[in-house]
Amino acid sequence: MLRFATRRLALALLVALTVSAISFFLLRLSGDIAIALAGEGARDIDIEAIRAQYGLDRPLLFQYGEWLLQVLGGDLGTSLFFRTSVGALVLDKLPVTLILGISSLLFALLISIPLGVLAAIYRNTWIDRLALSIAVVGQALPNFFFALILVMIFSIGLRWLPVSGSGSWQNFVMPTIALGYYVAPAFMRLVRAGMVEVLSADYIRTARAKGLSRRSVIVKHALRNAVVPVVSLSAVQLGYLLGGSVVIETIFALDGLGFLAYESITQKDFPVTQAVVMLLSVFYVLLTFVGDLVNAWLDPRIRVA
Amino acid sequence: MSGGAILDVRHLKVDLATERGTLHAVRDISFSVEPGRTLCIVGESGCGKSMTSLAIMDLLPKSARRTAETLSFRGEDIGSPKVMGRLRGDRIAMIFQEPMTALNPAYTIGDQLCEAYRHHRKASAREAREKAIALLERVGIASAGDRLGQFPHQLSGGLRQRVMIAMALMCGPSLLIADEPTTALDVTIQAQILRLLAELQEELGIALVLITHDLGIVARIADDVAVMYAGQIVEQGKAGDIFGDPHHPYTRGLIDCIPQPGKTRPGERLGTIANTVPSLVGEMRGCAFRDRCPHARPVCAEDVPERRAGDHMWRCVLEALP
Repeated sequence: MLRFATRRLALALLVALTVSAISFFLLRLSGDIAIALAGEGARDIDIEAIRAQYGLDRPLLFQYGEWLLQVLGGDLGTSLFFRTSVGALVLDKLPVTLILGISSLLFALLISIPLGVLAAIYRNTWIDRLALSIAVVGQALPNFFFALILVMIFSIGLRWLPVSGSGSWQNFVMPTIALGYYVAPAFMRLVRAGMVEVLSADYIRTARAKGLSRRSVIVKHALRNAVVPVVSLSAVQLGYLLGGSVVIETIFALDGLGFLAYESITQKDFPVTQAVVMLLSVFYVLLTFVGDLVNAWLDPRIRVA
Repeated sequence: MSGGAILDVRHLKVDLATERGTLHAVRDISFSVEPGRTLCIVGESGCGKSMTSLAIMDLLPKSARRTAETLSFRGEDIGSPKVMGRLRGDRIAMIFQEPMTALNPAYTIGDQLCEAYRHHRKASAREAREKAIALLERVGIASAGDRLGQFPHQLSGGLRQRVMIAMALMCGPSLLIADEPTTALDVTIQAQILRLLAELQEELGIALVLITHDLGIVARIADDVAVMYAGQIVEQGKAGDIFGDPHHPYTRGLIDCIPQPGKTRPGERLGTIANTVPSLVGEMRGCAFRDRCPHARPVCAEDVPERRAGDHMWRCVLEALP
C-alpha cells in the first residue's frame, strides 16, 4: 500500500509540475505583462523600463524557474490590481469555493446514488426512464441557465433565497443546486451501470442464496462494489467543481476563487490568474491522488496488487 | 420416493422468455429427496438441471417463470417467497459452480461466512466467528483464524470452494443443493472436494442434491439418480439400478461414454451420443431424444409412456433395452 501511495504521489507531483509550466507559458502567450503593468497610454520607453525592472526581458524558461522557486518558497507574488500579496488574497477567497465545491458534490451524490440504484433495480421501467430524464435534463442544461431559472423561481418568484452575496448559508443553496445538478448525471449513470453489472454477478446470487435481506444484498453486497468507480470520479469531479465554479460564483456574486479568477482575467492581473490556475490544478491532481487511495482501500484487489 | 421426503417437487416447470419465443427449460419434472440421502441430477449442458436448482431456491433470473404443483420442504410450501425467504440460507443452502466469482471480492472470508449465521441466528460476532473457524477447520482449511481476515482473491479455487461449503453449512441446513460444485476445479481438487461433500453429508445427516454432468461423480456419490434430458427427467431410480440396469437409451449412452477400469481396453473407442440436444424453444411432443436414439422408431414421435418398476422410472416406448 505504501509503495502504491508513493508511486501515485510522485506521478501526481509530476502532473502538477507540468500543469504549472503549461499554464505559465500559455499565460505569457496571451498578453504582454509589461504593457498591462504600465497601464493605459504608457510610452514605449516606460514599457521597456518596466520590462527591465521586472526581469521580463530575460528568457522565458529562466523566468519560469524563478517563479517556480518563489512558489515553492511559499511566495505567490503580488497582485497587480489589489497591490496585496496573492497568497493572502487566495487564502481569503478559498473557504467560499471549498464550501461550494464540497456542498455541490454532496448534493450531487445525494441525488445521484439513490436514483442510480433505483434505476438499476427497476431497469427498463418508468422509474428507470424518469431517472434517465432527470439526468438528460441535467446534462443538457447549461448550468448558468439552470442557475437563472433557480433565481427566477426561488428569489424573484417565491422570495425564499437571496439573489447574490456570500454572507450566509442561504447564499449557497442555489449555487450548490446549480453546480451539483450539473455533475449529478455522470454519477447517476456510473452508479446505474455499475449496479446493473454487479446485480447480475455470481456473488449477488450467493448473497441471495444465503437468505440475506433484500436491503443487505443491495446495499452491502452490490452497492459497495458498484460505488468503487464513483469514489475516484467524486475526487475528479470535486476538482472540476472547484474550477468550474467560476461561472456560478460570478452569477451569484459569491466571493470565492472562481470569482477572483474571473476578476483577475478581466483586470489582466497575471500573478493572481497564474496562482488561481496553479492552485486549482494542484487541487485537481491531489484529489485524483486521494481518489486512487480511497479506491485502493475499497477494492482490496487494487490494494494488494 | 416420498412419504418421509425432505424435499418434494411435483410437476415443476420453468419457462424463459427469449427473443425466439418461450424456452421451456424445465418441462414438468417431479422428484423427491429423503433425509440424509444424496440425489444426483445428471445431464448435459442446457438440459435444465441448473434451472431446476435455481427454481427450488427461488433464485431464477427475472425472465424466468416458474410453476409447480408442489414445492415443499418438510411439508412447508417453499413455493411461497415468504416461506422460502425464511428457510433459504438457513435450512436450505446452496453451493455454486464458480468459486472464483461466487464470493464477494469486497469483503473478507470471515465477514461472508458470519453474515448469514448472524442474520438467521441473531448470533453475536464472537459466536459467529467461533462457528466459522470450526467449520473452516472441518472443511480442511489450515490456520482458519488467519483465513477469516483474507479476501477471496487471496485464495485458490479449491480453497474458495471449501469456503463456499463452509458458508453453506454455517446454519446447519438439512438440505444442501450443490450445482456443479467441482466442475471449475482441477481434477485432483475435484476428488478432494467431492470426498469432503460426501463425508459431511454422512456426518451431518443432511440431504444433498448434487447437480452434475459428470457420471463418474454420480457413480461415486449418489444414492438416487435422476437423468435429465431436454428439460425432462427421462430416467430415475436408485444409483445401483441406474448403473446396473439402465432402461433409457440416453442413460445407456451416457454410461457408455465413461471408460471402465478393467473393461475398457487401451485404444478402444469410447461410446458417443451423436448430434446435440434439441432446441428447447416451443412445444415438444414425443420423445426428445428420438433424433439421437439408436432405437428410435415412428411411435417415438407420439406421447411417451412413463414406465415404472418399483421406484425405478423411465420414459421410453421400449419396456427394456435390446
